[in-house]
Amino acid sequence: MTAEKKKRKPGWRLYLPRLLFLIPLLAVVWVPFYNRIPPELGGIPFFYWYQLAWILIAAVIVMVVYLIDTRVTHLTKMAEDWEAPGPPGDVL
Amino acid sequence: MNLDVTATAVFVVLFLFVTWLGFVAARWRKADLNLLHEWGLGGRRFGTVVTWFLLGGDLYTAYTFIAVPALVFGAGAIGFFAVPYTIIIYPILFLVFPRLWAIAHRHGHVTAADYVRARFGSRLLALAVAVTGILATMPYIALQLVGMEVVIGALGFPTQGLVGHLPLIIAFIVLACFTYTSGLRAPALIAIVKDALIFITVFAAIVIIPAQLGGYGAIFASVPKEKLLLPTPEEGSLGTYSAYVTLALGSALALFLYPHAMTGILSASSGNVIRRNAALLSAYSFILGLIALLGYMAIAAGVDKDPAFAGGFSLYGPNFAVPALFLASFPSWFIGVAFAAIAIGALVPAAIMSIACANLFTRNLYKEFWRPDCTEAEEARMAKIVSLVVKIGAVAFILAIPHSYAIQLQLLGGIWIIQLLPPILLGLYSRAFNAPALLMGWVSGTAIGTYMAATQAFASSIYPLTVFGLSVPGYAALYSVAINFAVTIALAPLFDYMARRSAQSAAR
Repeated sequence: MTAEKKKRKPGWRLYLPRLLFLIPLLAVVWVPFYNRIPPELGGIPFFYWYQLAWILIAAVIVMVVYLIDTRVTHLTKMAEDWEAPGPPGDVL
Repeated sequence: MNLDVTATAVFVVLFLFVTWLGFVAARWRKADLNLLHEWGLGGRRFGTVVTWFLLGGDLYTAYTFIAVPALVFGAGAIGFFAVPYTIIIYPILFLVFPRLWAIAHRHGHVTAADYVRARFGSRLLALAVAVTGILATMPYIALQLVGMEVVIGALGFPTQGLVGHLPLIIAFIVLACFTYTSGLRAPALIAIVKDALIFITVFAAIVIIPAQLGGYGAIFASVPKEKLLLPTPEEGSLGTYSAYVTLALGSALALFLYPHAMTGILSASSGNVIRRNAALLSAYSFILGLIALLGYMAIAAGVDKDPAFAGGFSLYGPNFAVPALFLASFPSWFIGVAFAAIAIGALVPAAIMSIACANLFTRNLYKEFWRPDCTEAEEARMAKIVSLVVKIGAVAFILAIPHSYAIQLQLLGGIWIIQLLPPILLGLYSRAFNAPALLMGWVSGTAIGTYMAATQAFASSIYPLTVFGLSVPGYAALYSVAINFAVTIALAPLFDYMARRSAQSAAR
């Protein structure tokens, strides 16, 4: 929160990074694309390793959006000040 | 089957350890457990790490670890829908639930129904939310017992008859006692042990078992071709493709509406704890994907053709695939570790689910309709008692009626719980909706979803919807919640108009 305790609503542009979440959704929605065996990876058919890989990619995307929201645009801070002040998030 | 003494000894020791932990948890982050938010939400003080263990232990249940590979083992590729499902849930968790957490934290809401009650000012809508939550969770608790029963049976105990049920009953009495004394702190602490055991077991399984079977290439080569991929749909139908995607999408939208998931989320110490976990919980999804592959390893190992396991398969069906695979691949002591991981994996979600049901009952039925002016201590005592009743009910349920009913009810539970999406989601983002419209939406969604499941004789939740001559088989939960949304959005302006009219005529 700024010193003058300005509580303003975060602008819609700050929410744009969240559109990145469409990527994993699109990746798994079109089933015919990945419902096949070649190319295999270490003997594992494409159908299986493709989806397993997207778990990890999706996690990275969520992490990236989190870092943008908290470190770059400070969207979460702004939104929480604007909506509801809570205690600071600790690690344990 | 003969009793495996070494495995049983390891199993019992680990079980005793978590029992001790469950009681000690009462003194962890000491607070007054006679307050409902302390007993039932751990005081909303769990940070990123504890929440990670708690939600991981809560969502990835013992039944999941048994049933997902069993589905892959029995039906093949369709069982892998659990993977896209877990890919979709975390963006949803990130987008929606920190906002709900903030509101719940500010107003002291303990349940989703508390939030709906305050947001829309409707006792009736809150009642619908609470009852739906309790009904959807009860069979889920019962299924955790199924997971536990399979591993107890696999250790060599008879699981038929009253004596056979004794280990299960003892385990649940223990569970009921430490949940009563420690509340949400018990499953939070035990989840750390459970998750550690699950990680150890799964890593051992994906390294040791493929080595025994000649590598992943050999494992997939031994799987029948028709199981390896989703069958290509016929002309004029989207077949398994639409079924696969709608199952993943519908399950993902429903997951965090379950009371036990909500309890886990609301016990976090901040919105950012939830956001961090939206990324970090994917580790469990990856483990779940690997566990799903155990179904194929069971096919490759030929456990279903092994006469030593014929008895297990005849009793438990495909659910016996993973225990049989472990029995065939691991030394005795490690079988004890692996089975303890699954059994403790049943305790954690069962505890959280019973706490969630207790919170709902106490806050939204007992306090709302019977004792509006009850004291905080009375409220917490009531919740503790209800958590006991819920568990006794689950045990009685699983012992008295066939397991197939529990599975069918769980399937219906998924269709019912997703109907809470409009009241919870729309209320967070818009002021354009009102309680009567949401209630009508809830009624129509629940009715149509139940009807869709009934047309499939409650054996499958895939409903063959026909759109302009094209057959689109899909998850009934997703179809019915679409109707729920449509009814809500269509009726909201109408009810608003009527409310304004009656206000005007009253003013005149």
